[in-house]
Amino acid sequence: MKLRQNLRRSVLVTAVAGALAALSAAASADIRIAIAGPITGPVAQYGDMQMIGAEMAIERINAAGGIKGEKLVGVKMDDACEPKQAPTVANKVVNDGIKYVVGHLCSGATKPASAIYDENDIVMVTPAATNDAITAGGMKTVFRTIGKDSQQGPTAGRFIAATLKPKALAIIHDKQSYGQGIADQVRVTAEAAGIKPVMFEGINKGDTDFSALITKLKQAGADVIYYGGYHPELGLLLRQAAEQGLKAKWMGPEGVGNKDLNAIAGDAVEGLYVTLPQDFSSEPANAALVQAFKDKKQDPTGPFVLTSYAAVQVIADSIAAVGNDPKKVAEHLHKSSFKTPIGELAFTASGDLKDFKFVVYEWHKDASKTPAQ
Amino acid sequence: MNEFLPNFLPQLTQQLINGLSLGSIYALIAIGYTMVYGIIGMINFAHGEIYMIGAYVGVVTLTALGAASGTLPLTLVLAGALVAAIVVTAAYGWTVERVAYRPLRGGPRLVPLISAIGMSIFLQNYVQLGQGARDVSVPPLLPGNLFSVEIGGFPVSLSVTRALIIGVTVVLMIALTLYIGRSRMGRACRACSEDMGMARLLGIDTDRVISFTFVLGAALAAVGGVLIGLSIGKINPFIGFVVGVKAFTAAVLGGIGSIPGAMLGGVLLGLTETFASAFLPTEYKDVVAFSLLVLVLLFRPTGLLGKPDIEKV
Repeated sequence: MKLRQNLRRSVLVTAVAGALAALSAAASADIRIAIAGPITGPVAQYGDMQMIGAEMAIERINAAGGIKGEKLVGVKMDDACEPKQAPTVANKVVNDGIKYVVGHLCSGATKPASAIYDENDIVMVTPAATNDAITAGGMKTVFRTIGKDSQQGPTAGRFIAATLKPKALAIIHDKQSYGQGIADQVRVTAEAAGIKPVMFEGINKGDTDFSALITKLKQAGADVIYYGGYHPELGLLLRQAAEQGLKAKWMGPEGVGNKDLNAIAGDAVEGLYVTLPQDFSSEPANAALVQAFKDKKQDPTGPFVLTSYAAVQVIADSIAAVGNDPKKVAEHLHKSSFKTPIGELAFTASGDLKDFKFVVYEWHKDASKTPAQ
Repeated sequence: MNEFLPNFLPQLTQQLINGLSLGSIYALIAIGYTMVYGIIGMINFAHGEIYMIGAYVGVVTLTALGAASGTLPLTLVLAGALVAAIVVTAAYGWTVERVAYRPLRGGPRLVPLISAIGMSIFLQNYVQLGQGARDVSVPPLLPGNLFSVEIGGFPVSLSVTRALIIGVTVVLMIALTLYIGRSRMGRACRACSEDMGMARLLGIDTDRVISFTFVLGAALAAVGGVLIGLSIGKINPFIGFVVGVKAFTAAVLGGIGSIPGAMLGGVLLGLTETFASAFLPTEYKDVVAFSLLVLVLLFRPTGLLGKPDIEKV
């Protein structure tokens, strides 16, 4: 009985605290947007891209007068790309009374967090999570400004079948929702084109010695190897493959494309194929925006910088159109279209983009990229 | 199928090289676990973090000495990194014992164990705050192979870094065995491990012996850390955990408390993991490695080379 009383009291206290938080948020007349992604951890580089993209959007919207006089405020939150940590971040967003989220970044972290946002009518727009399942649950307030694995995987699979024409295709993944999800898509597309992979195996995320696997790849005679996962493991795979003299063409998804891959693998990255969102930073319409990034010594070419910019922008445009009410904002997102640096965006009923293009790039040892031939 | 046999032998040779270099690192770290356990009967869970600190000191020194720019000869830079890592990490090993374990000596067994876990978390966060939570990368400094021969159309190669790992480990193991077997300090260590109370009565400074085991264990782990920095080339503040668990497993497999056991256990675990991922899907390698541990412990509860412990009353 005592316990129940205590429980009731604590519920009451929480409710009061929640109401106070909501009050203080309203009083400050700012519209807060949580920017949730990895600030620490092995893939924090992608978090950087997300943060600079979202912050630039907030800055430019505020400089243009905000939303009907109200300023946008970005609140950074760190999920370290951990599926365990993401719900904690999501609950903090709920408790802080924040109604809009740009994030999360990794599919594994986004999935558990999105359910919490949906339950609490918080609008979430991820600029980076590509796993199909994220938008497949019929959630009304979950969106993304990037394509899905089922768009990216087939792009990679078709490129492998039509251009690389492997004698022996091997597919490796990191057993995470993102890596394995996209590896499955590549396998399905390749098999549809009549190429049966000689190997389809998972590695442990965080492992560092892959020499046994490399020897096995050599043994299998793999001449094209697709890796589904992030850059830390691919960097080690490339480095150890070079060490053992494994000559094969490697390919990976957008989660491997950043400078740190070069730091780990050195010259072994030369000729790696990567599917990335189309590089919108070279579009003439974005020249002023790209210059604004360069003035702040920031790099706008990362795959998630402009998608994050667009995520903030679609939220801000919707608030401007229908007011600061997340339910109405979600409805507006579903039925309108938006002009953003990554093109004219419109969302399907599931919250996916109606159209999104992945492009195959070739990665070089100076961390630059050129469209693949 | 007729292609299988001529290919099998070279593949086996290559996997043997892979497994030996992986197992060498486990062995270097396992010795730290086993020596501390052998003498004070406690598991130093912060030992994985000591290894991580060794790797960091090595990488920081490499960068400071300008390894990539090539102003100093590479051998000198590597020697410098090794010495710096050993000295700094040994100091950490000594301090950890002094701060976290010595004040608790004589208390209930669980107390220093909790203190060790706390120390491990502290060191992880301490490095994370000081060095950042992100991966630190080392460019390949020693590229190339010591040898690369083609056997039956399959190239078998031993890279310079892996040769270095195996070579350095073998030398250190021999030196350690000689030192423990022949020197005064080694004799004191063995005496303490047999009966600490009696050793003290006979005039051995047991506190010094305990400090010495921590310093020695840390120095060996530091060598492991620098070698991993060189060959793998990617470290972060969390690498100590997984490697620590694996090395601890190796120590238990070989018989915790036994130095030759730790060496054997490390190499065996490395080979098992490697051959498991060679002949089964890679995701099963840890399953196989830990099943082996369970099997060994079922039939030899004290590990492969461990002596049955007589409970002291």
